[in-house]
Amino acid sequence: MSVDISVKIGGEAGQGIQTVGDILARVCLKCGLYLMAINDFESRIRGGHSFFQIRISDKPVNAPNHSINLLLALDKKSFDLHEKELVKGGISLMEEVDAPAKKNIIAIPFFELAKESGGKITSNIVAAGACLALLGAPFGIIREVITEGFASKGEDIVEKNLNAAKAGYESVGKISFKFAFKWKASRPRGILIDGSRAIALGALAADCRFAAFYPMSPATGIMAHLASAANEFPLVVEQAEDEISAVNMIIGASFAGARAMTATSGGGFCLMTEGLGLSGITETPIVIVNAQRPGPATGMATRTAQADLLFAINASQDEFPRFIFAPGSPAEAFETTARAFHLAEKYQVPAIILVDQYLNDSLFIAGKALKVPGKVKKFIVSDTDMKNPSEYKRYALTNSGISPRAIPCNGRAIVMVSGNEHKEDGHSSESAQTRTEMVNKRNAKLSGMLSGMNPPETYFPESKILLAGWGSTKAAIREAVEMLRKDGINAGCVNFSDLWPFPAAETKKAFLTCEKFYMVEQNSTAQLGRLIKEQTALSYSGAVLKYDGRPFYPVEIADGIKKYMR
Amino acid sequence: MVNIKDYDSDVENKWCPGCGNFGILAAMKDALAAQGIPPEKILIISGIGQAAKTPHYLKCNLFHALHGRALPLATGAKIANHELTILVNSGDGDCYGEGGNHFMHAVRRNIDVTLLVHNNKVYGLTKGQASPTSDEGMITKIQSDGVLSETFNPLSVALALGAGFVARSFSGKTEHLSKIIQEGIKHKGFSLIDILQPCVSFNNVNTFDWYRKRVYDLFEEGYIPDDFNKAMELSRMWGDKIPIGIIYQKEKPSYTDKIKKLVESTLISGKYSQEKVRNAIESL
Repeated sequence: MSVDISVKIGGEAGQGIQTVGDILARVCLKCGLYLMAINDFESRIRGGHSFFQIRISDKPVNAPNHSINLLLALDKKSFDLHEKELVKGGISLMEEVDAPAKKNIIAIPFFELAKESGGKITSNIVAAGACLALLGAPFGIIREVITEGFASKGEDIVEKNLNAAKAGYESVGKISFKFAFKWKASRPRGILIDGSRAIALGALAADCRFAAFYPMSPATGIMAHLASAANEFPLVVEQAEDEISAVNMIIGASFAGARAMTATSGGGFCLMTEGLGLSGITETPIVIVNAQRPGPATGMATRTAQADLLFAINASQDEFPRFIFAPGSPAEAFETTARAFHLAEKYQVPAIILVDQYLNDSLFIAGKALKVPGKVKKFIVSDTDMKNPSEYKRYALTNSGISPRAIPCNGRAIVMVSGNEHKEDGHSSESAQTRTEMVNKRNAKLSGMLSGMNPPETYFPESKILLAGWGSTKAAIREAVEMLRKDGINAGCVNFSDLWPFPAAETKKAFLTCEKFYMVEQNSTAQLGRLIKEQTALSYSGAVLKYDGRPFYPVEIADGIKKYMR
Repeated sequence: MVNIKDYDSDVENKWCPGCGNFGILAAMKDALAAQGIPPEKILIISGIGQAAKTPHYLKCNLFHALHGRALPLATGAKIANHELTILVNSGDGDCYGEGGNHFMHAVRRNIDVTLLVHNNKVYGLTKGQASPTSDEGMITKIQSDGVLSETFNPLSVALALGAGFVARSFSGKTEHLSKIIQEGIKHKGFSLIDILQPCVSFNNVNTFDWYRKRVYDLFEEGYIPDDFNKAMELSRMWGDKIPIGIIYQKEKPSYTDKIKKLVESTLISGKYSQEKVRNAIESL
């Protein structure tokens, strides 16, 4: 029997949707199931409408499904909004008081049961119990998950929540549910992780010492994870007065010898572009995460988008080398973040990591163990590496464009750094010759940088048509390819994660044999398609674009491509 | 022994002849030599403007950064390595205009750096526009009907935000300024030194002569800078008599003093641990 069902938990912000979702996910994990879950919420703390949608399967799943099998509606609005997404035989679990008399509704008195068991604030736990019972999950595992989850809050709280879950579990009685399946305790298929946490862990694995930020959705989670780990590490996390300060702080820390990063969203990244240029001209390595959301200006704070690619490539005045990455999963986000620190330091340039609300806030299972290096290679020189430290020149001209980088007050070498155009020693200069030399020196790094870029990843690369995308849409595009192939369409895909310097030769190779390729992006103008055209002269034949702030469902991509097939 | 000559830089000085900045440069060299801090042990960070060129004109580690952003940069550097002795050269436009927000928050953080604001009450590098500290009514090419806004008072602002070292000096009194800079360096925490600096090209009101007739040394009057209310009063004194000296001083833990892990070692000398990262992953 194969399992692939989706459960949506909807309600108002503040109703404990997250907790229910977390319990469901952890029960799945303990039963050796695969899962992925998206978080959809408004920019508010209480009220409104939010949902958590979890897809459960016995095979790896890495993208959300467009239809649902079970709807746990914690309020009437959730039912009204999402009833249409239920598949045939799908059911909605609802609070008895709100429930209309309909065949596809199972009404449970969550609130009353909570009052009798764990207290009225546990009605979400009652609902979680009912939901899992309907799916056929064993109570023993639910007990384990709740006991572990609430352990830090004391035995009394654990007891109350267990009682609530039990009451909910028993409330569905012997009601049979078409999509119930057999669960059994089993080894987890991996670790449960979202993009935010993966980035924070990647930074730790890269020996990040300093992080400064200004809170902004959907990037704040990264810094929250780093801050909560900071006590165990030689790491300081500083909340700056604004993004301008944040980026300058990390430049200062990096200059002084600490690996440093910041995380923000598009609006904050706008403010950081001045600092980005400072990092560029002073050749001070930094890592900036831009967790994209729809814009411009405030746009939609809690929604997802992929519309900052061309901006990131071109941000700040004038020209200087930089790295741009867009990981396609939490495991990739972990690896990419660590690599970004390494490459930024090696080439003394800024590295930008483009993620988005979807990747940051969605839960995935990372199957393979995240690799943590035994040692972190550093690229800082000191007096002992120099023939004559008192003659040290921070911007010494070299063939590779990389000048040995010393840190200030660390010996006899004096380190002089300037955001003004400068000579080899770091003092400002307006000489035409020096200016040209320095621009050329910085640009000289590009060829080395390009060699550190991963080529785009391909899936059924020999296909007649190829779908192309970047970053977090990778899994949805791959699943769309599988759908298309099932329908007899000879399709494959190309997924980019390393975007700048642009791997043009590898890109040409990837599209060499296909008849046509189509862009799949979460922006309105196919930014990667435009970039490919600019860099390779290859033109895309069409594009499936979604820019409503919501993540792609694989079926939307497949349907979009099919329209071009007619 | 450190000699003043050790700080000599062979970079061509681009200030106007007679500029008030020369006195500040001389006082800085004198203060550093007197404190026995050799060029390789001092880090000077600056923003943009005539003042921000200063670190190029004496031998030192330097970061000549962005307009208004020297303080956040200094904050990051200090947190990374709190053993650094950091001076920041800034101007009234750089620090109180473009970097006003950063100024406020650097004071609040009490980050242990010494901020020297070359306050000439005008924009020099961009040729004579009003600055935040220009007097109300000052006429410039741009402010042809006179400056309409109130004058920014850095000393009062710093005091109001809880600054632990608030001082004013005058670039025409190099010896006085050197002493104040030395006290600023010695002070554990954020030190603001607002330096009255005549601009010989664009400010024909607040000239050397104008200041010489008005400034008086608080220390010579036996003033003890430990009374907040008195300091607030002095910070607002302007006109016929202008007090210079340390207006207020109160030691309190600096920002990096309050970060527990920095008590044992600097952030940059911490050790990477594979095991700890693995534990962080496994705790998921």
